[in-house]
Amino acid sequence: MKKFLVVLAAFFLIIACSKNDDGTPTQEQEEDEIAFNREAMLINWADNIIVPGYEELESSTTALTWVVTDFIDEPTESNLFALRLQWMDTYRSFQKVSLFEIGKAEEVRFRDRMNTYPTNATEIQDLIANGTYDFSLPSTNDAQGFPALDYLLNGLGEDDAEIVSFYQGANGVAYKNYLESVSSSIKVLTTLVLDDWNNGFRDDFVANSSSSASASVDKLTNDYVFYYEKSLRAGKVGIPAGVFSNNPLPGNVEGFYSETFSRTLALDALNATEGFFRGRAHNCINCYDESFETYLDYLNTIKNGEDLSDLIIAQFEVSKNKMLELQPSFIEQIEMNNSAMLQTYDELQRNVILLKVDMMQALSINIDYVDADGD
Amino acid sequence: MKKIFITAIIASAALTSCSSDDDGGVAISENVEAPATYNFERGGNSTVSFSGQTTRILMAEEVLEAFKDFDNTTEASLQSMFAHVQGADDFSNADLNDSDKSIRSKTAASKDFFGANATEAAQIKNTFDGYISTQINEVFPNQNVLAAPGVAGQIADGSSVRYVTEKGLEMNQTFAKGLIGALMADQMLNNYLSTAVLDEADNRENNDADITETDKSYTTMEHKWDEAYGYLFGTSTNAANPLATIGEDDSFLNKYLGSVTNDPDFDGIATDIYNAFKLGRAAIVAKNYEVRDEQAAIIRQKVSEVLAIRSVYYLQNGKIAIENGAMGGAFHDLSEAYGFVYSLRFTRNNTDGMSFFSRSDVDSFINDMMNDGANGLWDITPATLDAISEAIAAEFSFTIAQAASAE
Repeated sequence: MKKFLVVLAAFFLIIACSKNDDGTPTQEQEEDEIAFNREAMLINWADNIIVPGYEELESSTTALTWVVTDFIDEPTESNLFALRLQWMDTYRSFQKVSLFEIGKAEEVRFRDRMNTYPTNATEIQDLIANGTYDFSLPSTNDAQGFPALDYLLNGLGEDDAEIVSFYQGANGVAYKNYLESVSSSIKVLTTLVLDDWNNGFRDDFVANSSSSASASVDKLTNDYVFYYEKSLRAGKVGIPAGVFSNNPLPGNVEGFYSETFSRTLALDALNATEGFFRGRAHNCINCYDESFETYLDYLNTIKNGEDLSDLIIAQFEVSKNKMLELQPSFIEQIEMNNSAMLQTYDELQRNVILLKVDMMQALSINIDYVDADGD
Repeated sequence: MKKIFITAIIASAALTSCSSDDDGGVAISENVEAPATYNFERGGNSTVSFSGQTTRILMAEEVLEAFKDFDNTTEASLQSMFAHVQGADDFSNADLNDSDKSIRSKTAASKDFFGANATEAAQIKNTFDGYISTQINEVFPNQNVLAAPGVAGQIADGSSVRYVTEKGLEMNQTFAKGLIGALMADQMLNNYLSTAVLDEADNRENNDADITETDKSYTTMEHKWDEAYGYLFGTSTNAANPLATIGEDDSFLNKYLGSVTNDPDFDGIATDIYNAFKLGRAAIVAKNYEVRDEQAAIIRQKVSEVLAIRSVYYLQNGKIAIENGAMGGAFHDLSEAYGFVYSLRFTRNNTDGMSFFSRSDVDSFINDMMNDGANGLWDITPATLDAISEAIAAEFSFTIAQAASAE
């Protein structure tokens, strides 16, 4: 019997060896490599974060067009007040989806058409005087979207009475038409993007779960890191703080004409990028699923003896707290004490390194964008 | 016997190579030493002068601005900026208006390549005139039209806006990058660094005898060499020591030498060119024309490489943009590529004194780029871009991969 067992053991040993030797991975090894479920992560992204985000924005843009209609029918100060509140609300919903520049959003240049700032007041006045405008032209990026509404609702005059007066009288029609076109274009673009997710793109997005330059995870990770680096860190904080110029540029803050809104928008964007990193479902404080965080934990990515995901989450927290110390108006903050803006920028920059270098390396994703060579 | 024989061969080979190296090195450069910076003086006065080149670079900068000034530029105004006549009110800078210099007169105007080739010179000048006319007559009227195959207009390139012809070309790019070859490189490599110009008439005798030009501190030969230098460093912040700001001082050769030298694959190429200019100029002062011509050969080779590297860089980046479906970005890159490829005609191959690429080589590259389909760059294929890149890189020692990435 003993002898038999030895022979049997030897037999298994041989089988085990031969399996390994012939070069093909055992089933166990194969499962090991694909055990992180990229498809589950894509499903969480699409169904719990992205599509609900666009749904919220879509219904908010619908409300916006109603309030615009009210204001056009009766351009009064109280209707202006209501319109501003709705504009802020819709602008805030936009911050939750601006990072998802993929598919139809990429095709229609969603972010550039919704949120190019500083807006070009001279061009807006020219177009209003002219009476014809085509917002699909890229040269009109800085004359449409939320920043153009900011100018139309907050920047036309010194006070509310003066602003409202532009929409009254003989010239009022031209201003009303422009306001109506900008807000309806915001709604149309949002509907286009949401409809595309609902009519096939969601399934393509989830099915494209492999690992290659054109795969969903690789593409959206690039879009995410690009957004964090260029739109959030640079656009909302670094550029107005003068990080890339000789002097600070307070005229370049987001929500310039409303004056007290810039920090809210930046915090919303920061929350959105942090929530996406952690796979947090739309508008849910405690609903987490597969995400960059769980992917990095699965890969057991360690930096300087600590989990990379912990480092990134902690850095999001530090950035958020730093930003909360700023004035609600970044214009005021820059003029009073720009070094606090610069410190916020520095904290945001720390996560650029962790996301763009460490995380992307760990996930074996190549960066697909480079800094333009400037010509 | 065998051992002795082999030892003898090795020894003699070693001796031969040593002695020939030593002879070559010592004999030629023993009396020439390059100064730390491009500073040369005679009797306490600087002998360096290239104001005409600075003027033309500044004129060309204003031409580029005017190419995109939809509100103010006309075909006549742009054409007269290109072919400036002294006193005409063409530029915002009054000194340029007062100047008797013009860009067009020095376009495809080198002694070596076009001195006896007026036909091609006229053809090239007409090509640049055509860029102007296309911009004004085809692109300007469609300022507020979305570009499409067969329709000129504007197209997004990321957050930038590009204005293209019906075939997807940005004429300001073809003009600017074409001028780097037809003006800057041609004047430098095929005119001012040429023995036909440096040694013209009694330049050597005068230089040997330190006979300067009337009322000037420099000899004619010194000045010719400086004029070559001026087409690269004529608008540098510190023209005597220009490498600190390389790439930032113009929109033409300086800018793209900067781009290439910042690519680790070509690290040091700007220093090599600068050092060759310094040593060659010092050789003229030392009346050592052999060292001078060696340095001219280095500059010719390396400036030619810069044009070729940039051609491949933009062809390959255009290819990537097409593969990503980013047509606006692709058109921008490929319009730059078009201009750099056009500039290859003005490169200089030291082995035969001809261009690395003949007129017909360049024409067929351009033809290939624009004729994959009826709508030019809208139809261009990655295969075509690779084929042109390969044909260009084959003339040099760099690889497509080295040129394609700036990192």
